[in-house]
Amino acid sequence: MFAITRDPIDLPALTRAVADRRAGAVVTFVGTTRNHNVGRKVIRLEYEAYERMAKQEMRRLAKQAQSRWPLHRIAMVHRIGIVPVGDASVAIAVSAAHRTEAFEACHWLIDRLKEIVPIWKKEHYRGGQTWIGPQQGGLPKPKPTARRPPRHTSKHTKR
Amino acid sequence: MRVRVRYFAMLREHLGPGGERTVRDGTTAAELWKAVVVAAAPAVRAVRVRFAVNEEYVPASHRLADGDELAVFPPVSGG
Repeated sequence: MFAITRDPIDLPALTRAVADRRAGAVVTFVGTTRNHNVGRKVIRLEYEAYERMAKQEMRRLAKQAQSRWPLHRIAMVHRIGIVPVGDASVAIAVSAAHRTEAFEACHWLIDRLKEIVPIWKKEHYRGGQTWIGPQQGGLPKPKPTARRPPRHTSKHTKR
Repeated sequence: MRVRVRYFAMLREHLGPGGERTVRDGTTAAELWKAVVVAAAPAVRAVRVRFAVNEEYVPASHRLADGDELAVFPPVSGG
């Protein structure tokens, strides 16, 4: 499941989408909208996407993750439009035989999604609004020390 | 040749959603964008944009073809 939705994210459906009888682990990441950012009180967030490309980029990231870790299934959903504070704006689920690769892949996927999937966030404050991007300092810079690729030598990560 | 240009997020708010444009054969994404921003607000000119053609990221030097859809983005900020 790779989706852009205007509705609240259906987390049970996301988990079901990665269900696999060979899996010993399902790791999910749920990104929720914060009530503050760089010292400002956020009332609500608004997201916009280049929808077809965003879905395509999510599928491409999933393929890359599948080639880096031994995974079973991946699902990614991003909500767009107005998202109230506290709601899920993005959710990722990964199933794998073992938890280590599921955790690592899920972490990598959300980091990459934030870097390349064409989706934009606008924060609404009392008395103002602003688009968020690296130039506003609203997002952490990607660390120069990239996560190491998994070692396929241990018995847990062997395909 | 004719290409369809699309703007997103703060670029869309300043420039509108985009539309059809007629450009010289061989025009690059960067050249088209340069022609647009010359008349735009300083806030738009300051944006470090990325380009996608037909829903694939391309470098600024990418040469457009007739019928292409060029998307121009500010830095992405999903999540």
